[in-house]
Amino acid sequence: MRVLLLIAKSEWQYWIRSQVVIGGTLLFVALLVTTSVLTGLRIDAETHARSHQQSEAEETFLAQPDRHPHRMVHYGHYLFRAPAPLAIFDPGLDAVTGHSIFLEGHRQNSATFAASDASADLGGLSWLSPALIYQLFAPLLIILLGHASIVREREASTLIPLLAQGLAGHTLMFGKALAIFSFIILLLVPLIISGVAAISFGESPVTVMFLAGAYLSYLTIWGMLTLCLSALLRKRSEALALLAAVWLGITLVMPSLAVNVAERRVPLAGKIETDLTMLSDLRKLGDGHNAKDPAFAKLRENLLKQYGVERVEDLPVNFRGLVAVEAEQKLTKVLNDYAEARMEGESRQATLLAKHGWFTPALAIAFASRTLSGTDLEHYHRFLREAEALRFDFVQGLNRAHVDKLSYGDDINRNKDEASWRRARVNASTWEVLDRFNFEPDKPLSRLENTLQSVAILLVWLILLLLLMVWAGRRLQP
Amino acid sequence: MSLMKAFVREAQFSGRDRSLLIWILVLLSLSSLSVWFGLAEVNDQKATIEDLIEADRQDRLAEASKLKDWGSAAYYSFHLTYDPPSKFAFAAMGQRDLQPWKHRIRMLALEGQIYERDADNPVLALVGRFDFAFLAAFIVPLVLIMLLYDLRVSERAGGRQDLLEATCGNASSLWRARAGVRTVAVFVSVITPLFIAGMITGSSLVSLLWAALIVFAHTALWAWLSYTIAAWRRPGTVILMSLLSIWLVMSVIFPASARALIDRVVPTPTGAEILLMQRETVNDAWDLPREETMTPFFDRHPDWIDYTPAEDGFEWPWYYAFQQVGDQRTEPITNAYREGRMRRERFAAAASLLSPPSLLERSLQTLAKTDFNAAMAYEARVRQFHAQLRDFYYPKFYRNEPFEKSGLDNLPVFQTGTSGE
Repeated sequence: MRVLLLIAKSEWQYWIRSQVVIGGTLLFVALLVTTSVLTGLRIDAETHARSHQQSEAEETFLAQPDRHPHRMVHYGHYLFRAPAPLAIFDPGLDAVTGHSIFLEGHRQNSATFAASDASADLGGLSWLSPALIYQLFAPLLIILLGHASIVREREASTLIPLLAQGLAGHTLMFGKALAIFSFIILLLVPLIISGVAAISFGESPVTVMFLAGAYLSYLTIWGMLTLCLSALLRKRSEALALLAAVWLGITLVMPSLAVNVAERRVPLAGKIETDLTMLSDLRKLGDGHNAKDPAFAKLRENLLKQYGVERVEDLPVNFRGLVAVEAEQKLTKVLNDYAEARMEGESRQATLLAKHGWFTPALAIAFASRTLSGTDLEHYHRFLREAEALRFDFVQGLNRAHVDKLSYGDDINRNKDEASWRRARVNASTWEVLDRFNFEPDKPLSRLENTLQSVAILLVWLILLLLLMVWAGRRLQP
Repeated sequence: MSLMKAFVREAQFSGRDRSLLIWILVLLSLSSLSVWFGLAEVNDQKATIEDLIEADRQDRLAEASKLKDWGSAAYYSFHLTYDPPSKFAFAAMGQRDLQPWKHRIRMLALEGQIYERDADNPVLALVGRFDFAFLAAFIVPLVLIMLLYDLRVSERAGGRQDLLEATCGNASSLWRARAGVRTVAVFVSVITPLFIAGMITGSSLVSLLWAALIVFAHTALWAWLSYTIAAWRRPGTVILMSLLSIWLVMSVIFPASARALIDRVVPTPTGAEILLMQRETVNDAWDLPREETMTPFFDRHPDWIDYTPAEDGFEWPWYYAFQQVGDQRTEPITNAYREGRMRRERFAAAASLLSPPSLLERSLQTLAKTDFNAAMAYEARVRQFHAQLRDFYYPKFYRNEPFEKSGLDNLPVFQTGTSGE
């Protein structure tokens, strides 16, 4: 153990003397700190703006005057998706998904206005976040530090004497590994600071710990890969060039190629396309605005029988309201079937993409990071589902008021003259059927569950590289 | 002449350089993959558009029974608008992955419809697809760096540098020729698949040549940078790390900071403001005295000023008038939103002059008509088409023309613009 520490210590001394290492580390830390602060400020401003807009939308809805309840069904309501606390570290899908959604009767609108719609577009790599810096550029720093660790001893002809003095090859390897590992732990300090900030905004410490753990495994994978190549290759320049090439492949080329593959293997129809199919299904349901639509004949018949009356005018409830309730319910079922099918398709694409983590740990960590941060597809879908549930609730609440609080006679005569127009209204207190909305990330446990695949991938990479390291250490012979 | 000779000699040497050959093969396959995926995506989008055109027609036929007057005809008829991919779009998908390129609109207030996003899977959009523009802008410079940083260092380390320079007479021409051979090899391996794909799709030769020219300029720039820095008498590690830092600054740090800065400096109204205001005006109109809707409407359409709306009860002309007034009232915010986006775009264009990779990616998107301006042009065409719909229906409402279904045959048809090339 003492030997290990000694080796690690001398590696640290070598780094501290190297201008390249110091320069590279300073550059990296400066980049990371700036990005963390900027992302933090941006997300914080977004959170405030959106929660402000949310409460304003709720107030506006509740402040509406007495009206015909169906007017409020069409007046509709807005929901805003507040970012998760850990979005300050990994904003994930926040920039490319809409953050507001308009809810109204008879329709499911898409979430509109993503930040990417209006942002100054400067190309593929210009959405920088602390998470992305860890995923893409921290490996480069580790390569810079570690590529020479063994191979420089070989080049300087100090390796053979070292081993000849009785130092076991794998002891040397693990000593160097210890140095790199301690450096990686230091690298994680900014992440932990972001995490603590997120905890102060309500994130659970467990999630932050797991997030740090995931990045620790990811960076350790790079550390071990670097060490192995440093031990296996003859020349320092070869080690560096090969590692840089591997970095290029793993972080930049393969994830994007995997996107193309996922898109081809799981084709997904666009919304307009599926909406058109859906419309032809909906046409069979009947128009909820038209109580005479034959689709509601059965409902009428049952009601008349139930109350023992001859005409809908004699019913104690408002028939038009009941038609609206029934129509909305049937319609929503169809809408939800299509929405679920679409989300399922998107999830299948995402799962396939995540499976490519077996080829590139950069994808595995990206998925784990988004899931733990609460900014992944799962969370976006939950936002859409919660929005839909809220839509259905307030629309049906209003339709119920239409049934109970407005007489059929007033309702059908509403267009006769000014006075009947005024009579066909319900009290504004009815608008209280609207639920308050507050979007929160999943419980930590279910987020952990959703990272299982990505974590498994990272662990398998870790184990394989550990075996490779042991083998490469054995090969180091005097 | 001697440079030419040196070039040929180096080319012959390079043929035996295994690592160079591997890199060239890798680039050739990546370039082929990128254009192959690009072609497949373009074909998919074209097929989608064809399916949509047919489904859209079927849908209007199915709604035909609901059309009882001009008002209901306008209410129930949706119209497909779309922006077909250009022949060169396979090389750079650009904004098509983020901005909408298809809508179904009808004659209600446009502001409530035009921001609908029929977007692709956000997970895929976030990682970004591997298209030719991405390859040329971000990957090629890295490969060039790898190929050129140790030109001299490796010979120096092998103790051959002085010998080589002494035997070939003109030292710099040797290194230049060697760097030149590698650069040309990189360029040819990247551009060949693009030309083949371009011929398959029938892209115009001008687009292809322009693309080749800018990719060449970008490649040459990085080759020159690598070559210059590789001439330092420093260890290979220092040279490689310096080059990688330059790449990092130009491709990531600068564009990312510029984006953050521009978004902060140039404000735009939030989209939600537009939608909220639009909803308020359209909904309030139901309760307002009718002249409050009709007066601003007649300001825009003085031709129909003779029309007097009914005191109460529902009628279509008034209904569509308040839809239009909803759009009119949101105009200031909508314009501010559009102008904010356009100003951001202009700043981004200026900033990209300092980041060659961004500049190349954006230029290829411009050639492919998948850039921000193309997206805005499409939005403008949708607005224009919507205005044509209004021009078609308004006379029918206000002149009280009797409803005939055959009259709908003269409905305006959406024009896709010139992006077929």
